[in-house]
Amino acid sequence: MAKNMTFPSNRLTLSWLLCIATLLSGCNPHDANMSSAQNQSVAVAKKPSHPNYLRIPFSGDVSTVDPAFAYELNQIEIVGQMFIALTSFDPNSYETLPELATNWQVSQDGTVYTFHLRKDAKWSSGETITAHDVVWAIKRNLAPETKSPNVVTLYIIKNGEAFNKGTLNQSTASSPSPPPHNKKKNEKQEKSASATQPQQPSAPSPSSQLGVRALDDYTVEFTLEHPAAYFPAIVSMWTYRPLPRKVIEQHGDQWTLPEYIQTSGPYTLKEWQKNYRLVLSKNPHYYRAEKVAISEVHYYIVPESTLGLAMYENNELDLIGGQVYLNLPQTDIPRISADPVLRQDLYVGPEFCTEWYGFNVQQPPFDKVLVRKAIAAAIDKQMLIDIVIKGAESPASTFTRPPVFGAVAPEEGIGILFNPTQAKAWLAEAGYPEGKDFPKMTLTFNFSEVRKEVAIAVKTMLKHYLNIDLELQPTDFDRYMAALGDHTTQIFRNGWCSDYPDANNWLYEVFHPTKGYNWIAWKNAEFAKQVELAQRVADPKERQRLYRRAEQILTQEEVAIVPLYFSNSQFLVKPWVKNWFNMAFGGQHIEDWALEN
Amino acid sequence: MLTFLLSRLLSTLTVIVGVITLVFLLIHIVPGDPIQVMLGETATLAAQDELRHQLGLDQPLLTQWWNAIWNLLHGNLGQSLHSKEPITDILAQRLPATIELAIAGLLVAIVIAFPFGSLAALRKDTAWDSGAMVFSLLGISIPHFWLGPLLILLFSLQLGWFPVSGHENVSSIVLPAITLGTALAAILARMVRATLLEVLNEDYIRTARAKGLRESTIIVHHALRNAALPIITILGLQLGALLGGAVITETVFAWPGIGQLTVEAIQNRDYPVVQACVLLISITYVIVNTFTDVVYAWLDPRVRYRD
Repeated sequence: MAKNMTFPSNRLTLSWLLCIATLLSGCNPHDANMSSAQNQSVAVAKKPSHPNYLRIPFSGDVSTVDPAFAYELNQIEIVGQMFIALTSFDPNSYETLPELATNWQVSQDGTVYTFHLRKDAKWSSGETITAHDVVWAIKRNLAPETKSPNVVTLYIIKNGEAFNKGTLNQSTASSPSPPPHNKKKNEKQEKSASATQPQQPSAPSPSSQLGVRALDDYTVEFTLEHPAAYFPAIVSMWTYRPLPRKVIEQHGDQWTLPEYIQTSGPYTLKEWQKNYRLVLSKNPHYYRAEKVAISEVHYYIVPESTLGLAMYENNELDLIGGQVYLNLPQTDIPRISADPVLRQDLYVGPEFCTEWYGFNVQQPPFDKVLVRKAIAAAIDKQMLIDIVIKGAESPASTFTRPPVFGAVAPEEGIGILFNPTQAKAWLAEAGYPEGKDFPKMTLTFNFSEVRKEVAIAVKTMLKHYLNIDLELQPTDFDRYMAALGDHTTQIFRNGWCSDYPDANNWLYEVFHPTKGYNWIAWKNAEFAKQVELAQRVADPKERQRLYRRAEQILTQEEVAIVPLYFSNSQFLVKPWVKNWFNMAFGGQHIEDWALEN
Repeated sequence: MLTFLLSRLLSTLTVIVGVITLVFLLIHIVPGDPIQVMLGETATLAAQDELRHQLGLDQPLLTQWWNAIWNLLHGNLGQSLHSKEPITDILAQRLPATIELAIAGLLVAIVIAFPFGSLAALRKDTAWDSGAMVFSLLGISIPHFWLGPLLILLFSLQLGWFPVSGHENVSSIVLPAITLGTALAAILARMVRATLLEVLNEDYIRTARAKGLRESTIIVHHALRNAALPIITILGLQLGALLGGAVITETVFAWPGIGQLTVEAIQNRDYPVVQACVLLISITYVIVNTFTDVVYAWLDPRVRYRD
């Protein structure tokens, strides 16, 4: 495997970076002079030897491939390859397209959606996918016992939230709702249900009151809590995808093991070596199987991005970059841009993600809006991007990332801009002139190299401009999520990425005081009113206006969060990967890619 | 020999109980509340209490110690705080890769050390000797976290001979094994040189030469065989060091073994897993040392008589 490369000093740079990867992070000024049209194919004469399967890195292990529990980006990626959704998205316009559903109708009042399913969709076992599989999956994900972390995405279904919280029709004790894993429990409950139903025919079970039902084998009807023009986009999410009921009931929480799993998407799970490799192979029963050109996808767990880049350069990976496929090491971006071979493989494209810091507005001194404003105005986001991120990100002053529907264009000037003089004044007005007597506060973030660097930079800026001290608290994902959920943070880092391209997914689902995640622990009634109204209104212009007002409250008047930057992804893609394109909010269409021999 | 074996077994068991006790006490040596260290200061009291109960830290110290021994005897190392999987399952998934790497590292060390050490001894005070000893010095001095990337740079990115990372075929293990085995090779080479020099001055070597035996026969059958005893001791002792060194080597090459697991567990503050990894490495070390002692005694009867 001789490689047609010289041995220049840039290799030594790489070596040096590899050496200290676990000890230090480099900090070289970066000339962000990169531009590359996304989705264009570049033909460069390169070493052609590569296997006939696709090789992609993940930064961390995949702990679950069960759609009910998928939460991290790598889990969602795998679920996306294995389980088909009712709808999908156009890679260019992000318009909702049919997938498992061939078409759908909406009632006049906008609350009832009827999806007609394709009849040629099959499970990897060869059995037909029916509307009952969709309904069962949704009920399973909504069942309180399942504890699906994304259950909030199902709350739009009539009685979904009440069912999940166990407050629906509590007088009827015999719940036939499908428990998530336990086969014995399932059988027991089914018996219980069948035993009680004849005696109490008039008492509907909680699950039967849910606004989802199969009208026949190929028709699913959703009744919603309120009109929602974006509902066809929502049903693309993994919590709405059909699941193989028989397999789950038979094997319980073991059902996702390669020997048992049944999938509906282009790929199925062939091998799952924890902490090393996960292999997907083509699902011959996928309804478009003849179009799937890549027979296997190998996902490797590569904890260090520098190691990942070395693997890419040694042709051990076909693609690297973006939020899911192991971020490119930022310190190497200048070298990549200057390298005559690597820069041909480099692509920059938008990613529907916003990196932001949130305040727990219940915790003093962040209960004072002036303090929050001061901190927001003391963070120089452009400097963060230029010096720390060294990427192609754009500074953000609002939350929803353009061009998601409902996002505010940066030119509108909503939000708090960097202004250290104003920041000092606001802090003094809040009772902390020159940062005097300001308590030491903690910034919580789930650890990654970049997040740590950003946190250090923010800490430095706040000390420099406001003379206030931050203690950094890096933590692992589980504890970080628990701290957010328990509202035990003071300032915290978060990154939000689109599940579907509508501001409802951003403003309502994250910040609604009672129905969203509300990690900032606020109770803003006016904000709630705006985002609730925006859900119900059908007129796009009016929805835009409502979301604009919500952004104004969130990021400018209350400053409950500090948006830092809108993400852009940088990828290196081997020239033999054809038809590659990046879906800005995940759900990569690998089934449409190809490997050139 | 039986008495020797029994006494070694007894002392090994004592050391193992001591190791278990030390590892068990680690959690109590952590400054402050270990639960807060694990969960972070922002954890709720309910979450802290739950974990305290889950780990049995709300029980008297002696009860905790006994439970630790009892659970260990039953192969129960608890559950990972991070993945919620049984730790024994996690270790079972990772251990084969580490054993594989340790054995490969050991082979690399032997393959390098014996020729280099012998050459240095046989060509004493020549350029060969100096060269071998410079290699030895370099091998001991170069840290794994530097050597690994250097090998990647040369053999993967420049020459394209071996993969940067992976665990799929024999070529995947070459660079991690060289990284891990080089320091041991250097130590062994010095040891081979020293013991061989000593043996080469013995009367029986002179006798063998006087008998007109070929030099290669003298070296292989007489000198190296007699020089082997201290080398075996070093090998045994260094196997433990190989397991320790695997922590860094596995991290550099993303090798899916116990070393990488330890680093991940530390990053995730998955204390039970860290404890289990430390315990596993320590007990392996003790068992390998005992085994070395027994082999030594079997090879050299003087050892067991002295004992």
